[in-house]
Amino acid sequence: MNLSRRVIAHALALAILLFVAAIVSVGQTPTGTVSMSATVSKFVEINSGGAVTLSGNSGGGVTTDGTVNNPLAVSINLGELGPSNSNSFVTASVPLKLRSNAAYVLSMNATVTSTGTTSNKIGAADVGFGLGSVTRSGTGVNTAGTDTNATSGDPTLVANGSVNGASGRYEFTAVKSNLSAFSASTTALNGAFIMNAVPKTNTNGLTVPAIFAIKPQFFENGSTTISVTFTVTAP
Amino acid sequence: MARLSTIGILSLVMTLCAFAATEAQTFDISSGGQPTITGASGGSVTGSSSLLNDLTVTINFGEISPANTNSIVYVVVPIGIRSTLPYQVTVTRTGPSNANAQALQPADVGFGVNNLQVMGNKSNVCTNSSHIFYSPFDNDPSSSVTIAANGRANYSSSLSNVSGSTVILSGPTLTKSGQAQRRTDNGFTFNAMFAITPQFFAGGTSSATLTFTISAGPNVPC
Repeated sequence: MNLSRRVIAHALALAILLFVAAIVSVGQTPTGTVSMSATVSKFVEINSGGAVTLSGNSGGGVTTDGTVNNPLAVSINLGELGPSNSNSFVTASVPLKLRSNAAYVLSMNATVTSTGTTSNKIGAADVGFGLGSVTRSGTGVNTAGTDTNATSGDPTLVANGSVNGASGRYEFTAVKSNLSAFSASTTALNGAFIMNAVPKTNTNGLTVPAIFAIKPQFFENGSTTISVTFTVTAP
Repeated sequence: MARLSTIGILSLVMTLCAFAATEAQTFDISSGGQPTITGASGGSVTGSSSLLNDLTVTINFGEISPANTNSIVYVVVPIGIRSTLPYQVTVTRTGPSNANAQALQPADVGFGVNNLQVMGNKSNVCTNSSHIFYSPFDNDPSSSVTIAANGRANYSSSLSNVSGSTVILSGPTLTKSGQAQRRTDNGFTFNAMFAITPQFFAGGTSSATLTFTISAGPNVPC
């Protein structure tokens, strides 16, 4: 009897061992898994929207023109800005192209440096500025998105400036209509995401002209350098 | 009486062992080799290079916004299969799930299968039936990218084509008789390929899981 119990106990132990071994040694399974993940970060970019338009100039010209969809690096010689230039304004229109997958903010920072020594030299307030009409068009563009232009538009518009009755100097008086409003980085435009889910090879986007204007006046003679930096972010 | 009980228990044990072995050896899916990834920015793929290990692959496609300037992020996952009966391979999917239509959608992940290869001399090479990659998955998604009318990249087949349990491959017995346990030479491998074109997707993270299952398929002759 004891012998039989021992045999049964050994048989059970062997059975469990064999059963587990049968499964473990085979090591097979009819299923496998592939897990995947991906990340989309906020993305913004600014490029040239095309060639610069310069008008009302006397001498000067576009030194380095914009090339559409290439990095924005434009250089303009506005020419003569004294009274010998009989045009009412010297105007440069610089097309910008913005693209983003998130809400964006376009900021601008400008410095104006003149060689003159008096208050009659060209200063930041003498350089009119504004962003023109914003265009969202083309395949892949979020055409339903809206934008807020913080500037007053074309600075040469009658509503945006006038001769100061007391000083006689022409002034760009509308909100954010001259470069003195951008001595520090300041929002010029903001809006909803620009691009739908399309590859970067799609060249469409949001275009807007950045318009600069100077009224030829009896400025103190000398030379002036104007430097403007545009920055787009996705806060 | 005791002897009869002993014999009975031993018989039960042997039956259980045989059952366990037989069930486990009918169908098997495993790693088919080292997965690879190209075109990624901050991405990676992990999985075993050994045909003896389970298929457990983790893909991180990395950055898929335009900040990734590569034209495509492409992952190849080799899969090993063995069977002692005619088989089929099915796929089920969970995710990606994004309410925003501009975020990554199942249709944005190209998915295809191809390149069936014999493992070794214990593989069962049949002449009376073919192994079939099912349409639309019988393509390489990295070479089937087109741009839709709305400007979005699309593929001949994608994760959007995986609905419920979807058959992607079937065929005759894969493994020679008596050689069914997991070895490096007794089945076939094929490639599962995944592709994402970096685009102006809405920001965020996305995830998905595919489960590949091998089971009894159409009863075709070898």
